[in-house]
Formats: sequence, C-alpha cells, structure tokens
Amino acid sequence: MANEPARILVWDGAVRLVHWLMAILVPLLWWTAEEGHMDWHKSFGLTMFGLVLFRLLWGFLGTWTARFGPMIGRIWSLNSYIGKLRRRESASTFGHSPMAVLSVFAMLLTLLTQVTTGLFSVDVDGLDSGPLALMISFETGRQFAEIHEFNFNLLAALIGLHLAAIAIYQFVLKEKLVGAMVTGRRSRADFPVAPETENRPSVCAMIAAALLSLACVFAISDFG
Amino acid sequence: MRRCKSQKIFPVLASLALLSACGQNTETDTDSQLANVELPSGMTVKEQIEARQDHLKQIGKAFKTISDQLKTDRPDLAQIQAAAALVPKEAQGMADWFPEGTGPESGVETEALPVIWENKSDFNDKVGAMQDAAAQLNTAAQGGDVAAIASAFQTTGGKCKDCHDKYREDD
Repeated sequence: MANEPARILVWDGAVRLVHWLMAILVPLLWWTAEEGHMDWHKSFGLTMFGLVLFRLLWGFLGTWTARFGPMIGRIWSLNSYIGKLRRRESASTFGHSPMAVLSVFAMLLTLLTQVTTGLFSVDVDGLDSGPLALMISFETGRQFAEIHEFNFNLLAALIGLHLAAIAIYQFVLKEKLVGAMVTGRRSRADFPVAPETENRPSVCAMIAAALLSLACVFAISDFG
Repeated sequence: MRRCKSQKIFPVLASLALLSACGQNTETDTDSQLANVELPSGMTVKEQIEARQDHLKQIGKAFKTISDQLKTDRPDLAQIQAAAALVPKEAQGMADWFPEGTGPESGVETEALPVIWENKSDFNDKVGAMQDAAAQLNTAAQGGDVAAIASAFQTTGGKCKDCHDKYREDD
C-alpha cells in the first residue's frame, strides 16, 4: 500500500451533481412560477422530479455518506454532537453530521412533496396543469396546487436554515463545508476518527439509478 | 419506521406552526357591513362576488377539460364540445359582474383589484375580447378540427390572462 492520501472523498460525484443542480433549479422554479412561464416551470419541475428520485435511489445504492441507513444511525448521537458544538470542540463528521441528517431528510421530504404535488397541480384558470392532473378533477387539482404553494414556503424556510447553518460553520466554527461539496474532498486530518470506508461509488449502481429515474420522468412526461 | 418519524417531524411541526398562525386572522362577516349592501341587480355585494367567482370557476373547470383532452393522443371531441359550449354561456354578462363596491373594500374575500374601477372601459374591452374568443372557441369545437380547437383555445386562454395579469391579485 502506498501512503494514505492526504485528501479523502467525502461526497461522491453523484451527490455533488444532484446537489448543485437542485441549488440551481429551485430558484429557477420559483422564478418561472412567479412570472408565469409555465412551460419552463414544467420542464424544470420534471427535471427536479428526476433528481429527487435519483437521490432517493442513491440513498440505497450510493456511497456510504450518501446512504440513508448510516445517516439514520447518526441521529442517535445528536445530543452529544450538539454538546461538542457548544464546547467548540472539533466535531467534524465524515459525511452528514447528526443535525445535517435531520436537515437532509426534511429537505428531501419537502422536495418530494413539492414535485409530487406539482405533477397533479391545476392553475386557477384551468389552463396550465401538471402531467398527472389528467387523472383528477379541477377541484382536486386546485387542492394539490394549494399544497404546492404552501409547501414551497416550508422548502424555502429549510433552505434558509441550511444556508444559515453553512454560514455558522464557516465563520463561527471555522469548518469550510462549501469547498467539500464542490471538490468532494476534505483533508484526512480534519477528522478525529478515521473513516472506515473508501466511499467509492459503484458505476453500475449509478447507471441503474440514473436510468430508472430517467425512465420515470419520461413515462410521466409522456402521460400528459 | 423510525426513519419516517424523524423525516416527517420537521415539516409537520413547521406546518402546524404556520397553520395556527393562519387561523388567527380569519375575518368575520360582521366586520363588514358593506358586504350586505344591496346592488341594483338585487344581489348583495357578497352574493355578487360569490356568483362571479362561481361562474369563473365553472370556466376554469371547462378549460381543464379542454386542456386535458388536447393533451391526449386522441382527444374526446364530445367532451371538448360540451366544455367549449359552456364557456360562452358562463361568461355571459361578465362586464356586469363587477359593479362599484364589489372590490376588496367590501371586506368579502376577492382577488379583484381596485384598479378595475379606475380603468373600467379597458376592463370591459378585455372582457369583451375574451367573450369573442370564447365564442370562436365554441365554433371551432363544434367544427371538430382539433388543430383549430387547440389554436382557438390558446387564444382564449391568452385573453383570460390579459385581464388576470392586470386586474387580479397575484397569489
């Protein structure tokens, strides 16, 4: 074995790509909805649907830091993690911290609610509707649209919390999280406990998850 | 199952907080006597506003039917024709649905903006343009040519939006 590399892979390429595409799409989706560019809103929304689907699959097929199982395991150390933060002890975690796990689950659930209700939404004039709104009445479609609108506020609040947390880590706790989400890597020396995994993604799993998500998106966009 | 719990707890708590905030400012009908003023049409302000909202909702429903059918590979002409016939009927007399006093100042929940009554003739022109487009949509629908229906439907939708963009509150 050669020397251990100084920088290790925390976030695999799929996690980063999905993350940054979502970060670009959310403002675009908001803006297209505000301005009434519903054709674009639908295309971006379907793309977002595919990304959410992929991320959920990746939570089972992806690297250790992307998988939901190990993330759930982290939740139980939430109290001790918060204690460490308050004492300003070095608390870098390989992957999501216990608090980040809660944040990610909340954001994913809210995003899933958002894309699903969007598929069934009907606008107040009955002129624009999601691809699956064919199956439901005007009134039900309006209810989906109401949830879609309300849920966006939840999503915006969670994103606000997410950004605030990153700023606190950056400036108060001196942990630079943004760089790792760009390059995927952090210095091995950042972690008090050495990670037990190489965190290498499986190309087969990545292709499978991507194809499955794409197939769902095409099936739905074909529907209506 | 544990995961579900922790996944849901944030949105659930947040929605409860927001919902309880919503409940605090429900308006009671009693704080607005303007709502019960009788209009020349014989309806009260509240009845007039609710009647027009109902008509517009019926038009929205008809539009969804047409839009749904146009999205399918084989549109059901009978459904389109029934819906398209309904639109001019429901839109009849639309300019009269907005007498003075039926704006938001009445205290009744309405998205009609006060600017309607500052530009009443422009408003009425736009209503007229929509009614003309709806009549043409109906003619196209009864003709049975799907491409012509799709085009007339787009035109009619555009005429709705012309008015809504300017005279209806954004939600």
